[in-house]
Amino acid sequence: MPFIQRFLQFLGIYITGVMTLWGVKYFFGLSDYLVPPPLELLEVAASDGIRDLLAAANTMLVAVAGHFVAVLLATFVAIIGRSSTLAGNLTRMAAFNLQAYPVVAIAPIIFLFLGDGLASRLLIASLICYFPLLLSFIGIFSQPVDEVEHFFKATGRLNISLELKIRTFENLDKLITVIVGSGTTAMVGTIVAEFLAATQGVGYVIRKALYQSNLAKILIALFLIGLFSSIYLSLLEGCGKLVKKRMIGI
Amino acid sequence: MKIPFTKKRFSIFLLLFLVFCLTSCSDSTRQKGGDQGQSQPKHIVYRLKWLFNASVVGDIWAKEKGVFELAGLTVEVKEGGPEQDAIKDLELGRAHFGVASADQVIRAAAKGAPVLVVAQLFQKNPLQWIYRCDQVHINSPQDLKKYRIGVTFGGNDEAILLALLSKYHLDPQNLDLYAVHYDFNPFWKGLVNLWPVYRNTQGILLSHKMAKIGEKACFFDPTRYGIKFVANSVVTSQAIYDQHPELVVRFVKALLKAWADALSEENLENAVALLKRYAPETPKPILEEQIRATRTLVLPDGVAMPGMIDMAAWRQTEQIMVDQQLIDKPVKIERLLKPPLL
Repeated sequence: MPFIQRFLQFLGIYITGVMTLWGVKYFFGLSDYLVPPPLELLEVAASDGIRDLLAAANTMLVAVAGHFVAVLLATFVAIIGRSSTLAGNLTRMAAFNLQAYPVVAIAPIIFLFLGDGLASRLLIASLICYFPLLLSFIGIFSQPVDEVEHFFKATGRLNISLELKIRTFENLDKLITVIVGSGTTAMVGTIVAEFLAATQGVGYVIRKALYQSNLAKILIALFLIGLFSSIYLSLLEGCGKLVKKRMIGI
Repeated sequence: MKIPFTKKRFSIFLLLFLVFCLTSCSDSTRQKGGDQGQSQPKHIVYRLKWLFNASVVGDIWAKEKGVFELAGLTVEVKEGGPEQDAIKDLELGRAHFGVASADQVIRAAAKGAPVLVVAQLFQKNPLQWIYRCDQVHINSPQDLKKYRIGVTFGGNDEAILLALLSKYHLDPQNLDLYAVHYDFNPFWKGLVNLWPVYRNTQGILLSHKMAKIGEKACFFDPTRYGIKFVANSVVTSQAIYDQHPELVVRFVKALLKAWADALSEENLENAVALLKRYAPETPKPILEEQIRATRTLVLPDGVAMPGMIDMAAWRQTEQIMVDQQLIDKPVKIERLLKPPLL
């Protein structure tokens, strides 16, 4: 989906949400403390917009890096976990058990050792999108493509590298969809990390705004999150199309 | 069968969604806050600012010792928390009374929230900075320049610190400030010299932990340097205040009596036992110390009864918020302070 289309979809939902909020505000006569008026939203956007935009861009950069690390790690671990050897079984068992832990619960341990800087944000972002990626990758890589692999098996030419290539090629659409989908969780993971302990990024902006009950600032932050998520997901989809074109030619 | 998603269907869906939002909001407001209308509400909801701990010992006492029942009131005391805001609950009709800090009250009033203060629980703000006595030596605010200070950006400790710096003509740019989060590790590791704590709760816990490893805790108290920033106060809505003045008097009277009883020396053992039920993991000696510390904040020297409104402190709090551009203009604080018993 091109960026414009994705962004317009988000914008439609955002505007509907904000209009509903204002509808409720004016229908019930709620104060500006509960729901900020349109003018306040514009004022906050004008005064803090650039600063918040940079914060959101910062979040996206960390999310991209965290996502990249997660994809690499998930690919590596899934290659080990796809086999029916002892190492593979152990990896699968560990992956299924570890993914049950919410990352926010282990976040304090991460902050204890890594502090509240970039490393923690990166690690939490990676962890949040890593497990769903890993489980999907294990599923894809451990599923034989019999109609293709049969020939190579019969001729004794099937090795690990070839097997992975076949399964990647045959499941390319699935893999791209999973990676694009996990891009959103990478953004969410980064924001969670910033909310918990960071001094940068849009998650930190939201946390500070919450201290001051500043819903206008939170609404601006939500808009920026939507904007940057649209940019990132469109970029990922573009990359996916390029990869497909190179591998399949369509 | 696939149903085509036409514009017409989308419009109907949107309309239904809006109607649902409005009616669900309307129901909750009428059921809970609607009794802010004519008849006196039978079930009173009292929303605290924070979780159950020594800072709310008087509220717990009122709940557990039947003080509200004696006053003919059925009161549900609801725990607060970081995501809770009593003033929002009042406006949405989810609560009849609540606890909020002065900055919350002033910020809400500046944006038109119909909130009034009926009692001031803490006469002294519990927010102070803990430090290691042997490593940090502070004789005046000027000494702060030598150390790294923890501050919650956006929190009221930031407002207090900035007010102090402004009063003593110190430039915040010349200070080494460290952004505080949920955990105390930067303080334990020695990365930060001064760490903001609530003196009567976290302050006691941390000083005990420090004592265990042979360290002595000291506290930097901004009130010693003339900064009065009002903390927890009891609030209600303008509607409740106007329509049920008798209820307000009965509630505040019962609550303040509970606070006085909970903090009295002869009830200390009882108060500790009560608090222990809400904080089972905290040892009794610490709870006792926390209650004693709370007493010095609620009933400092010269204050006989809890609840007194310190007008000068409120004015100073308002001025601090104006100076730091946390509000656009003064809210005329006097019109918000309506202690029914004074």
